[in-house]
Amino acid sequence: MRYLALPLLSQNLTESTARAQTLSLYLQLSLQVSLSQRNESTMSSSSSSLPSCPKKVVTLKSSEGETFEIEEIAALQSKTLENMIDENCADTPIPLPNIKGKILAKVVEYCNKHAEVGVDAESLRAWDAEFVNVENTTVFDYILAANFLEIPTLLDLTCQSVADMIKGKTPAEIEKTFNIKSAFTPEEEEQVRRENQWAFE
Amino acid sequence: MGEVEEEEASMVGLDQLPSALLATIMVKLDVSSICSVGSTCKTFRHCASHVLSFIPTIHLLEIAPSIELLRPLLPPNPLMRSLKMDCDRLNDSAIRLLVRPSLHELHLHNCADFSGKLLSEIGSQCGDLKSLYLGSVAENRGRALHVSDLEELLSGCTQLEALFLMFDVSIFIRHNFARAWALASTKLTSLEIGYISSVMITELLHPNLEPPHIQPSVLPRIQKLSLSVDYITDAMVGTISRGLLSLTHLDLRDAPIIEPRLTFDLTNSGLQQINQHGKLRHLSLVRSQEFLVTYFKRVNDLGILLMADSCANMESIYLGGFCRVTDTGFRTILHSCSSLCKLRVAHGTLLTNLVFHDIRATSLSLTHVSLRWCNLLTNLGVKNLVSNVDLRVLDLRDCKSLGDEALRAIGTLPKLKILQLDGSDITDMGLSYLRWRVITSLTSLSLRGCKRLTDKGISLLFEGSSKYELQELDLSNIPSISDDGIFSLARARLPILELRLRQCPLIGDTSIMALASMQAREEGWQGSRLRLLDLHNCGGITQLSFRWLKRPYFPRLRWLGLTGSVNRDMVDALARSRPFLHVACHGEELGADPSNRLDDSYMREYEDLDEFEQWLLGGEDSGDNDDDNDDVDDEDVPMEVAEFDAEMEE
Repeated sequence: MRYLALPLLSQNLTESTARAQTLSLYLQLSLQVSLSQRNESTMSSSSSSLPSCPKKVVTLKSSEGETFEIEEIAALQSKTLENMIDENCADTPIPLPNIKGKILAKVVEYCNKHAEVGVDAESLRAWDAEFVNVENTTVFDYILAANFLEIPTLLDLTCQSVADMIKGKTPAEIEKTFNIKSAFTPEEEEQVRRENQWAFE
Repeated sequence: MGEVEEEEASMVGLDQLPSALLATIMVKLDVSSICSVGSTCKTFRHCASHVLSFIPTIHLLEIAPSIELLRPLLPPNPLMRSLKMDCDRLNDSAIRLLVRPSLHELHLHNCADFSGKLLSEIGSQCGDLKSLYLGSVAENRGRALHVSDLEELLSGCTQLEALFLMFDVSIFIRHNFARAWALASTKLTSLEIGYISSVMITELLHPNLEPPHIQPSVLPRIQKLSLSVDYITDAMVGTISRGLLSLTHLDLRDAPIIEPRLTFDLTNSGLQQINQHGKLRHLSLVRSQEFLVTYFKRVNDLGILLMADSCANMESIYLGGFCRVTDTGFRTILHSCSSLCKLRVAHGTLLTNLVFHDIRATSLSLTHVSLRWCNLLTNLGVKNLVSNVDLRVLDLRDCKSLGDEALRAIGTLPKLKILQLDGSDITDMGLSYLRWRVITSLTSLSLRGCKRLTDKGISLLFEGSSKYELQELDLSNIPSISDDGIFSLARARLPILELRLRQCPLIGDTSIMALASMQAREEGWQGSRLRLLDLHNCGGITQLSFRWLKRPYFPRLRWLGLTGSVNRDMVDALARSRPFLHVACHGEELGADPSNRLDDSYMREYEDLDEFEQWLLGGEDSGDNDDDNDDVDDEDVPMEVAEFDAEMEE
């Protein structure tokens, strides 16, 4: 086994770096596995044709250990999963330790819906609108999941729905909608109000 | 208990999202929402100022910021691509902030306090600019604007595709002006000019060399041309049609101050010359009655027939002021132009139902229809018109003969978004035909001056708990509308943004209270969502209302119309306490683009006069009218006088 070089963990680790490191770990692990597999398979006959296999399925594991299956075609919407599939790491269940089970289930549902053929744009839009018609905290979880899995359509949809919730509201309304605690000192508060008075009266 | 707390602690709040994701969300917001979010907590404040340094689009047209306000909103931003601003309170000192080399689109409105330096700076810095709009540049006294500034602008912006010069360019000396245009970008495809004399434009486009098929050196690739001139003449129309080979949109509007002579008017032969190169898709010829009641008297059916001959591919036609064209002419248009989507006719004095008599036989699918001041149009005509089921905009203002039967027909339109029935003879029964179906898809409804409507009709219209999309509602000049009607609007929780209740004598303080406490249908909104409220001359408004017009009520209000004479002190106090609220006291029309709403609608000010008085006053300049009922803003008159002077000097 080759020695896996672990990159230094710096203090200002951003999420994308963490993801990249996770990915590189996977790649190196799977390279080990596939190399050993290839060594085995060259022994067996190479003329065996592939059986008519059922659609390729990728298994995802949530933070609680629940597994979800998603067709490969649908999984391709996620750039992260696409990379893994390309590198042949997707044969074992992929652990996603920061996505909860019920969020992962919905994300799988989203990918499946958007991978369907023959759906007209109007009904897809309506389905999307219904999809984000949930509690704010759930939408934030969707955003984090879409960001981690790099699903641009879902990220855009969820961020747009949050933006629509903010548009046109006064600060008091925004604080109430999203349960934000204002952490300004009274002087800061006064200054902020004065600067932005024009935006909301 | 403990589990729930744990669950809450682990749930993500908006302020706990990583800043990159917060920025992704904020980039989708408009500037005022960004500032609003930035006022809530430290994280967002930091994020908001960060977002302002890379946001590509800054559009701020709802208020006119001062330079102190503007500075934090426009930090150095190498990614700024589109900037739209109301520059009413800015002058040359703001040029540094506004003019950026990275810009592709720059729209500056109300630049009256700027000098020509604005143009030359844009020319020297914004080499990549594709779209430029400049409104009212240097219109204030003492601001200089030279043709050299225009030359620098045109020669500097080599990538310019769309140019809107919304000010009077006739101040430039003619031969210098023509020379300046030779420097213009060759990519220029769209040009709109706020005011130019027809002689200037004729000379500009007149080819210098014979034979005439050589491309003119000026404006070779123009596809869209929109001009506001003094007189639309045959010579001008001919020169434009001959000279501009790629013309697809032609929009000409004139406003004569004296009755045009034969050589300075549009006749049948002028119309015949339109669309010589066969590419025209949109045509608009409008004679405005801004200064004088006048029409295209020298055009009749023959001219329209000759024009329709060569205009088979037209998609949009707007004819304003063709009083001699009869049904034959209008029908020919409908039958020759098979791709027609938009038809607008203003002052179609001889237009009757016969025009639409066999519209079903054509394969037309009109989406926008506007028939203003067509007094001979009756319900039968509308019934035939609505066979176009794709209609989205229907403007039948000031067609006095329309009644309830027309509304019964309109009630079947599934896609109608904008409906305007000002001044028609409809009653509550007619309104009831709009219930359940049309009213749920409408975004704008105007019933100004429909004197037979009552509260009952309005309440029945909005009964039931349907989800409405109505954003603009105009119930001005309806004498029987009272507070009950407004209560029904509030109860229905209409998401209206603009409400006009001008000259409704029974509207009083309780209406203001109801509107102020109107709850929105969706969660999270506190207080009214109204942006525009026009209460000019509403009889029941007293001092009590002012309590409800102050903060924190109506937090999003930008435009307010009141009668200043009611209580001058309180109006002034209100305007001072809410510095970003436009308070109109003289009866002006409100809105960010009042000219869009006016659109020859200065005639609305005549509503309170009966026919005899109208006849007495007919033909006079509306600005000269001192009648008490006249609501024209007196401040507008000096501007018109200044334009007269400019004309006289020519």
